[in-house]
Amino acid sequence: MQLIGYACSYIPVEILSATGLRPYRLLHGEISLSKRGEKVVRIDACPMIKSNLAYVLENQDRFAALVGSTGCDMSRRMFDILSEHIKIPVYVVNNPRTDKPEIYSDEIDWLVKQLEYFSQKKFTNEIIRDEIGKWERIRAALRAMDQKRAACPSLTSTTEFHNAMACYHTGSCENEVTFSENASEKARVYILGSAITYEANHILQMIESNLRIVGDFNCGLSRPLHIQIEEENIEGIKKAYYNQPPCLYKRPHQKYYEFLQSEITRLDCTGVIAWTLDYCDVHEFELQRIEKVLNLPLLRIRSDFSYQSNSQLRTRIEAFAEMLCSRT
Amino acid sequence: MLKNIDPQKISLKEWSRQFRLLDDSEIRRFKYYNNDEWGIYLSPPATFMVYGARELRKLKLDNSLAALRLWGFALNESERLFRARQSGKHIIATMGDLGTVPVIAMAFPDCIPFYPDCTWWTPFFNESTVLLDKASELGTPEASCFVRSTLAAFHKMAYFPKPDILFASTGASCDDYSCIMQMVEDMGFELNWLEIPFRRKKQDHFTDEKYARTPQGLDYPERFETYLINEYKHVWQRMQDLTNDGDPEKLGESIKKNNRLRRLVDQIKALTHGAKIAPFPALEMMVIEFGNLYGYADIDEWIDILEMVKSKIIDRVKSGNGVLDSDAIPLAWITPTADPLLLNIVEDLGGRVVATEYVINQALSEIEEDIDPFRALARSFMNASLIGSTEERIRHISAGVDSGRIAGVIITNMLGCSHCAMETRAIEKRLKNVPILAIDIPAPLGITEQIRTRIAAFIEMLK
Repeated sequence: MQLIGYACSYIPVEILSATGLRPYRLLHGEISLSKRGEKVVRIDACPMIKSNLAYVLENQDRFAALVGSTGCDMSRRMFDILSEHIKIPVYVVNNPRTDKPEIYSDEIDWLVKQLEYFSQKKFTNEIIRDEIGKWERIRAALRAMDQKRAACPSLTSTTEFHNAMACYHTGSCENEVTFSENASEKARVYILGSAITYEANHILQMIESNLRIVGDFNCGLSRPLHIQIEEENIEGIKKAYYNQPPCLYKRPHQKYYEFLQSEITRLDCTGVIAWTLDYCDVHEFELQRIEKVLNLPLLRIRSDFSYQSNSQLRTRIEAFAEMLCSRT
Repeated sequence: MLKNIDPQKISLKEWSRQFRLLDDSEIRRFKYYNNDEWGIYLSPPATFMVYGARELRKLKLDNSLAALRLWGFALNESERLFRARQSGKHIIATMGDLGTVPVIAMAFPDCIPFYPDCTWWTPFFNESTVLLDKASELGTPEASCFVRSTLAAFHKMAYFPKPDILFASTGASCDDYSCIMQMVEDMGFELNWLEIPFRRKKQDHFTDEKYARTPQGLDYPERFETYLINEYKHVWQRMQDLTNDGDPEKLGESIKKNNRLRRLVDQIKALTHGAKIAPFPALEMMVIEFGNLYGYADIDEWIDILEMVKSKIIDRVKSGNGVLDSDAIPLAWITPTADPLLLNIVEDLGGRVVATEYVINQALSEIEEDIDPFRALARSFMNASLIGSTEERIRHISAGVDSGRIAGVIITNMLGCSHCAMETRAIEKRLKNVPILAIDIPAPLGITEQIRTRIAAFIEMLK
């Protein structure tokens, strides 16, 4: 099945899937892909954007269409570059940064119309209901896994959870969500920041060899699970996606912080890992505030996906874990 | 006085010598806010060097009285804003949209709009990292646009008075400035956020989307106008709340006044860029273009200055005189340089700027006067440089290259700036028929011999 690529948590997967294509979230991040992306953008672009550019350009025959949004600036511009290089339809949705639900609503209506025209298919109420049902079932299964992760003691790792979420994000979730229970008494931490890419699982493994990540706010992990569609129609999709815990680029950002605080309290975390990618302004500018507002020990990990600092990183994580243990 | 001198670029020392030729009456003739008591701004440029703009001693400035007024006025803005506050005017901070919200603010009595964003030049004029260091201390990353100095300026509250109201535009804009505005809000300033829509380019595969076109020829989904109109009405409302005033006719007058400025700048650019010998230097021309944002906090005086600049340029063009050699290489400049010295260097090494894309297209295009003013402002903003595709942004530069008017292109980048990172390669791809030099602007005092050598080699190659 051909893919419909997308790049934002505010793009409803149900609508993409209604085209008959497989929704595939552009969440690649790996050093060699990133280097290859530098053929079309400067070195100081976000390494995930560079990786996604390279991935799409090298696999363009797998994609039938692309859907982007005006989330972060580099992501929006990525679609401008892609539309110059490849010959498939590219749609970019205006995702307002300020609280403007009417803009989002109009834009989702626009997207539906464009994708109906593209797929030569009317997205009837029945089709939409079926898609909502299908994706809600998958999210429900993943939520069950997330609850095990959040349990006390935590019963499954984020390393494993990330693999399950990768199936969701790549649209390859025909099989049931299965996972092993692996109880952990390690210090409980929350991870936030830039996206955890498909290829970044080894970072989670490295963290979880000393700590247990029990909650997150990163693209690539549990964000879609906060979306729960109550009305089984397009309006219901709009409401659920628009009202999800807001991305950090939304202005003003109070609701983001309120969500973080309530989650960290709920999950009884004793530390925070801030994962940022090079040149990810949206997160890098906020780190100082995040540290101040959350008022918990925070380990900053900045990455360009290269491996040369892995040993150093391992030592930093071990020291952080030791510090958290000594506090309890 | 200063009437019969040959045009050239001169140093501060030479300007100080030349300044002595001016009569006191001439100096007293020019004043901001039309105030005889404290509004005089004509002084030798060296005065501003003593006040802190240390880079001036390295710069060469045009030797006309018009240029003296221009520099005196532009460099005196900080004082002017504090004077405005002292004399009971409202200080309106407009951030991020670069050119439209001030038109609304100017429709209200005694309201002085300004752009804190323009603080990005201060570290370079001052040859100081004080603001950038403070911004880092406040949490901005090192590898981000120099506009982060704005955050430090808000923290120090010494570069402009505390604004009475702040408007912050975000959306299809660069991330770093959006983050900085958020940090300003976190400091305790109350921001009024405005949404900037993305100018989605028309595609063959789209259906059923009604598009409109700006007078400058850029297409946009028509309904986006409505979003902007609502935002501008919100600005109007907030301004009414602040001033207990608000006459819709005044908005029409403000549009007309801003159009007068925009037309004037357009004429100055056409005269300067089209002349056989460059009649006015690129650095002064950059100051002129950016004056379109808000008239440097006194639009009436700024228009008067530009009328004088225009006359001077006309005289020079007529007499066949200019400030550069006749064989200077015609260049386009994409993205403004944070360090003014670079413009001087390019000219000293044999280049001449004949086209620009300084990310403020929305402030350069005329606002329609025969339609609803809010709609006119929305349509004007739809010309913005950074809200659409790279192709649209550099369309006029491409045309200049195709016509043979532009022999080379200089792109100035800031490390970590989102649009620079994403657009530079795309620009190089689109302008493949012309040599391009992309320069990363270093931190203050960072222009090295290596950069000079690169520019020299580039211009030599074009010759």
